[in-house]
Amino acid sequence: MTPVIEMRNIVKMYSNGVVANKGINFSVERGEIHALVGENGAGKSTLMKILYGLEQPTEGELLLDGKTVEFKSPQEAIANGIGMVHQNFMLVPSFTVAENVVLGAEPLGKGGMLDTKQALQVTADLSKQYGLRVDADAVLDSINVGMRQRVEILKMLYRGAQILILDEPTAVLTPQETQELFVAVRALVDQGKTVVFITHKLREVKEISDRVTVMRDGKLIGTQNTADTTTEDMARMMVGREVFLNVNKAPQNRGDKVMEVQNLSYVSEVGRVMLRNVSFNVYAGEVLGIAGVEGNGQTELVEVLTGLRPAASGDAMVHGKVVTSKTPREVRMAGVAHIPEDRLTNGLALDASIEENLIVDRYFDPPFRKGLMIDRKMVLKQGQDLIEEFNIRTPNGQLPVTSLSGGNMQKVIVAREFSSNPKVLIASQPTRGIDVGATEFIRDQLVQKRTDGAAVLLISADLLEVMSLSDRIIAVYEGEITGVFPDAASVSEEELGLYMLGVKRQSFEEMEAYL
Amino acid sequence: MRKIFANAAVREFIRIVLAVSIALLLGLIVTLLVSEDPWGAYKAFLLGPLSKFNRFGDWIEESITLIFVGLSVAIVFKAKQFSLAAEGQLILGALVSGSVILFVPIESAFLRITVAVLAAAAVGFIWGVIPGYLKAYLDANEIVSTLMLNAIALKMYDYFLTYHIKPEGAGYTASDFLPKAYQVPSFMPKFAGNLYEMFSKQTNITHFLYIMIAACVIGWFLMYRTPFGYELRMIGANIKFARYGGINTKQVIVLAFAISGIFAGLAGAHLAQGIHNKLILNISMGLGFEGIVVATMARNNPLFVPLSGLAYGYLRAGADIMERSSDMSREMVLVVQALIILLVSAEGILPVIQQRVNLNNGKGDGVGTAAVPEGGSDVIQ
Repeated sequence: MTPVIEMRNIVKMYSNGVVANKGINFSVERGEIHALVGENGAGKSTLMKILYGLEQPTEGELLLDGKTVEFKSPQEAIANGIGMVHQNFMLVPSFTVAENVVLGAEPLGKGGMLDTKQALQVTADLSKQYGLRVDADAVLDSINVGMRQRVEILKMLYRGAQILILDEPTAVLTPQETQELFVAVRALVDQGKTVVFITHKLREVKEISDRVTVMRDGKLIGTQNTADTTTEDMARMMVGREVFLNVNKAPQNRGDKVMEVQNLSYVSEVGRVMLRNVSFNVYAGEVLGIAGVEGNGQTELVEVLTGLRPAASGDAMVHGKVVTSKTPREVRMAGVAHIPEDRLTNGLALDASIEENLIVDRYFDPPFRKGLMIDRKMVLKQGQDLIEEFNIRTPNGQLPVTSLSGGNMQKVIVAREFSSNPKVLIASQPTRGIDVGATEFIRDQLVQKRTDGAAVLLISADLLEVMSLSDRIIAVYEGEITGVFPDAASVSEEELGLYMLGVKRQSFEEMEAYL
Repeated sequence: MRKIFANAAVREFIRIVLAVSIALLLGLIVTLLVSEDPWGAYKAFLLGPLSKFNRFGDWIEESITLIFVGLSVAIVFKAKQFSLAAEGQLILGALVSGSVILFVPIESAFLRITVAVLAAAAVGFIWGVIPGYLKAYLDANEIVSTLMLNAIALKMYDYFLTYHIKPEGAGYTASDFLPKAYQVPSFMPKFAGNLYEMFSKQTNITHFLYIMIAACVIGWFLMYRTPFGYELRMIGANIKFARYGGINTKQVIVLAFAISGIFAGLAGAHLAQGIHNKLILNISMGLGFEGIVVATMARNNPLFVPLSGLAYGYLRAGADIMERSSDMSREMVLVVQALIILLVSAEGILPVIQQRVNLNNGKGDGVGTAAVPEGGSDVIQ
């Protein structure tokens, strides 16, 4: 049987000289769910962008049903039945679900106006046919992330996509939503569609895919039947060595209260209440994990606690000293370190050297300042030391941070924030979008800090990460704490999910003793 | 061969040589099309500034001004603040330094000149604090605010010159010459004999040359060796990162505008005390804006500013001479000049070579050596 997609000897070199794909031979059979896995920067997104016409290959050819094709744009790819759902949704927030689905290929009524009725009908039909549950007449702004994703998929189906590329679709979903998505994906395949599923969660690969292709460093390492492989095998193929996916955690030795948050509220610029009377403590020697679907106030909480935003009301204290509504430097001086959720926006200056990125919180004091000058020998030495200690893969510390891979960029941040000897360490999405090797390393370091007596506040969209690293867990929903679980090890994923969705809620009295 | 190309500095050099060659060729084509005597005209353009001693002087004098404003722009641009304040700062610097020499009765020539130069620097500083504060604390767009401040500065200059500085009954709008005793001396020391005679008679290259060199060194030191320079560069690289890391971004932005103003103020002092030795109408004619070209060609690095200032000054001097000594019209001269700048500032002119090199590296160890970007100049320091 001819594969429905065949990519032959694909080479992609970007104009800045980075070679993202080094001669890839990749094929997909009709009607299968094909998982594409690899560390960040392995080249899987690039490969899919080529398939979807967003990028042009430098070399190589693309065959669809055995015929050579060339896509100069996504429009051409869609016309040939290939659709892609991106990580960041491309939808119009003020339109209804139906309007979003038909946008660009609208059914027209009298006088060339949009035929709203037919749009609603088409959307409802598609939704029913593929089991992708949506409210066709709801405004997009009012629906949750899971449904938005289904809208994206419907949009592609409406355009006649036979092959669907899903780019890390589960990254933003709760466990329940993930299960729902999987059901829908299976329904799609049952009706003859083909799905390419990009992820780096190996558990999901096992659960959903028929075949799996592993990429590493721009090369295709291998394609196998999922049933014939284990997660350990896949991890080894991705990283190129043995990986230990489980975190080894020393028994907890909880100390004094270090950070105290009291009735903290925050209102966004547009007047939305993002945090509502949040209170909790973080103790020395513990990891307090915050579980929540992204966008439920976690970002705001972290930014208020680190001085990047002012609090609307309430206080946060470190060893009794107020740190809310102070400057970021004052907060840092109080002993708070911060791994920001978006490393490219906040955490790094990409064009500056690695060394210089490592001193932003300390350049102004000895030993880094000597008289009027910055002591370059110290900067150099610290750079070398931290590059070695944190295993940052670079020829030297003078290179700009852009020359590093995602995982190594994150290690630069981790190196800086950990080496400041913080009393409180606020880690927001510390391993998001980075490879297995770096993830393993950063998790180990995080737990080490906690064992050494730091108070760690962990915020992560990866529920498994929260569950495996934390000693205690708080669930949040719409800016409020909905539950607290004093023993992280004894709570199940499904149980947490219910609190994250606001379905279940503990009363304040229930929570009080454990916050 | 590939190894040589892989070196960023070498690549940059080849890039510039290539750009200049293409530009000169295009300029020649334009000249061939419009001039009766294209070879003569183009020779005047290319070699004019070196053909006579006084022309050489003109080139260096103009370059000194350009280097000062180039430094000014480089500092504020390094923080990614698109201030156009140099023009106004320069004009006020000229006004203040000329006025000090003319009207402040300090006996000692050294002291009076020093005070005049410092006053120019100070007024530039103040004229930088204003847009800096507006930008950092009130979120006013710096392009708009600095253009408005330039207009104010220019009108203040014209007003004071016309109504207060111009001698009674003079038929033209200009100040008296600065008194001989209070002019800035030639850069050649007197004991150089003949050389001193030549330079002091035929050129106005003064001690400002030394001030300019010192300014470049200080500017570089400030930018690459001090905590302030670090803050400035981090704000330029990523202001959110700077804030997250604890840098007081607002304060640094105000200082960036202000310190940039010092150098533009010095450029004004050089116009008044070094080149013209009096205050005249239209003393600047947009020199402040030329600083943008100089700084951009120097990649906002104070150490490269003298090179790009001299090169740009040469271009301007040559164009001037071509205009005066051939049938080329001023408009065409400016077209040639603009073509050259355009090509030199086009960063992507060497993509072919670059790609080949990187592909080769990329096959090596797979570590990110392939992705060292152009902006590596910060690192090479």
